[in-house]
Amino acid sequence: MHPILALLRKDFLHFRRNKAAVSLTFAVPFAMIWLFGWIFGVNRKDSGPSGIPLAVVDASGHAATAKLITALRAEKTFRIITEHPSALPKRPLAEADLRPLMEAPGAPFRFAVVLPADLVSHTRLGLHLIFLSNPRNEIETQTVNGILQKTIFSHVPELLGQSLQANAKRFLGEDTLRQFHRGIARTVASTFGGDADALERSMAAADFGFGAFTQPRDESLRRLDSPAADPNQKPEIKKKTSTADLFSQIVKFDTDQVVGAKVRSPMATSLVGGWAIQFLLFAVSASAASLFRERDAGIFQRLLAAPVTRAHILWSKFLYGVGLGLVQLVVLFVASSWLYGVEVLPHLPLLALVCVFAAAACTSFGMLIASISTSPEAASGLATFLIMFMSAIGGAWFPITFMPEFIQYFSKLTLVYWSMEGFSAVLWARQSLGQIFPILGLLGGITVVVMGTAIWRFNRGRIFG
Amino acid sequence: MLQLHSVTKRYGSLTALDGISLDVARGEFFGLLGPNGAGKSTLMSLIAGLRAPEAGTLTLDGLPLTSARSTARLALGLVPQHIALYPDLTAVENLRIFGELYGLRGADLHGRIDAALEAVQLADRARDQVKNFSGGMQRRLNLVAALLHRPKLLLCDEPTVGIDPQSRNAIFEYLERLNREGLTIIYSTHYMEEATRLCSRIGVIDHGKLLALGTLDELLTRLPFDEEILFPATPATTPLAAQLQPHGDLATSGGIVRFRPRPGYKLSAFYALTEAQALPPHLFTQQRPTLEAVFLHLTGRSLRDA
Repeated sequence: MHPILALLRKDFLHFRRNKAAVSLTFAVPFAMIWLFGWIFGVNRKDSGPSGIPLAVVDASGHAATAKLITALRAEKTFRIITEHPSALPKRPLAEADLRPLMEAPGAPFRFAVVLPADLVSHTRLGLHLIFLSNPRNEIETQTVNGILQKTIFSHVPELLGQSLQANAKRFLGEDTLRQFHRGIARTVASTFGGDADALERSMAAADFGFGAFTQPRDESLRRLDSPAADPNQKPEIKKKTSTADLFSQIVKFDTDQVVGAKVRSPMATSLVGGWAIQFLLFAVSASAASLFRERDAGIFQRLLAAPVTRAHILWSKFLYGVGLGLVQLVVLFVASSWLYGVEVLPHLPLLALVCVFAAAACTSFGMLIASISTSPEAASGLATFLIMFMSAIGGAWFPITFMPEFIQYFSKLTLVYWSMEGFSAVLWARQSLGQIFPILGLLGGITVVVMGTAIWRFNRGRIFG
Repeated sequence: MLQLHSVTKRYGSLTALDGISLDVARGEFFGLLGPNGAGKSTLMSLIAGLRAPEAGTLTLDGLPLTSARSTARLALGLVPQHIALYPDLTAVENLRIFGELYGLRGADLHGRIDAALEAVQLADRARDQVKNFSGGMQRRLNLVAALLHRPKLLLCDEPTVGIDPQSRNAIFEYLERLNREGLTIIYSTHYMEEATRLCSRIGVIDHGKLLALGTLDELLTRLPFDEEILFPATPATTPLAAQLQPHGDLATSGGIVRFRPRPGYKLSAFYALTEAQALPPHLFTQQRPTLEAVFLHLTGRSLRDA
């Protein structure tokens, strides 16, 4: 046999015998594709963002706003919150509640719409709405903006009619306006048919039938209005069917960025946490795999014959992982400060604290992987799979609101999610130690549970023979 | 110094040690001789406290090893079968770590490290990474790493596997010196030459059982013959071998026939046969039996084949 063929055969034989390599080559990619397709709703009708908490305060008192709120509720992108989430007894949200709630740690919502008392005013033409946001994630914020505007604009005509009515009333007086409505209604009824009284009542209620022109004609067109629509569609189609341009001139949106307004480099600040935590997970998992090398070299025999216990070995590995992780995170944040202008130095003490807790949680994860694996290759394969999985559902790649709502609950079980929450709380929301304490507590809790499980497994596994 | 009483260790259905009992006296150089898989390393790991027995007791200076583990660990030094060193660290860095694990610090530790490296002729390589050492140098470092804390009892688990004769000899000389200075050593090996050279008393172990225990002379007296005769296995010697069959044990290994005469058989009768077949005297080597013969006698197998 030719030497190359013989050597090639040798490599295939090695590959076939290496279960970890086989699983990494075939099983893991297959599982990943299936899993990520499932997570992101590929080929599913309910794909796209869902369940983004959106607070709505209706201070306008107009009957037509109820329809708008109903339409927002019907939009799966949003989970509409109209009641104060913690007040007892339960009461509707007020405009004054919004800012404190959005600024609080673990805010129940990061977007809010206020339909103010002057939503429809006789002193000006058009509508006035207030939009409050914590645009921590740019993709999510753009999505919310787009879908919110689309939903509101498709219900503007009715409200706009009320605005016109209010102005007409002011200029013409109520009696003249009534006569105007009656005249129009009778003319329309005599020309096109219909009930003149019903038409008059509709006009008095500011229902001019604009909605029939502005509602998308079918479901496929309605989806095209959504920013989450298929990107392969030609933009011209979207332009034709959109009603936003028509009304954007007469709807006044007061926007208020509640959190992160002073952040110098918003995009990098919101992204760097996700990057950091992924790098950290890979680093500490590799570090924990050194347990296998030491086992195979017989070093544990020497150590355990000395006045050293298994606990000493495991905790020294843990502390090493935390130290390594802390240094890596700090270097990464300092680099992002230097390269992208992320403001790190003013928040360094709190950031370092979050880094310690995140590093501890990640290290315990690496230890758990080592404790349940039988070889460094198996540990590496399992770690790669789980890190990518946790990063995906934890929000390191996309906002978690782009996944089905039930997966979003699982997101909150991942250390990726809570580490990113910690970084964001410090760098984006600029919260105090007291405010980030719950996040630190959660990361600490994850560390205790995961490390406890790892130690339990180590004492029953093969690492110490 | 060390007493083992009816020690049994199992791995699932496999009985690795089956009721082992032995005493090792202070200052003794005790050898554990047996083939691979005989239970030597398991016995070493029990003495070192790495594993616990299913049954039996182990005591060191009267203290049970299981309950007085922390005291025992300070009194023990283990030279593992593997080269249990950190390859990316230097010799000094390795020794510093292992010394610190025993609570050694500062000038005392540095002094001991220097002395240890000097003793195994590694002083000039002290600052080199261990991965750049030869196998023999790594073995020597592996040995002294277990001695920094000056243990009372040194456990050597096949410490010369895979090294050149020169390094092996250096290790032997060092161990003999330590033993002369009073260190008690338990030395496990499957090389009978090592056990013969080093050990004042030898335990022969196979399939988890201690088959025999004693000095070399005591073990040899268990043999039913005082001498054995070796000759080449050739067509010319085949008739002789056939004629010897009723008078003793014949074993052929590596082209050499080993004849161990039954009690009462006179060697003069043997030489009369060789003369009758005109076989020249230089073909025959008469020697005192070795531990190999003891093992063969006890197990029916050659130590090398086991």
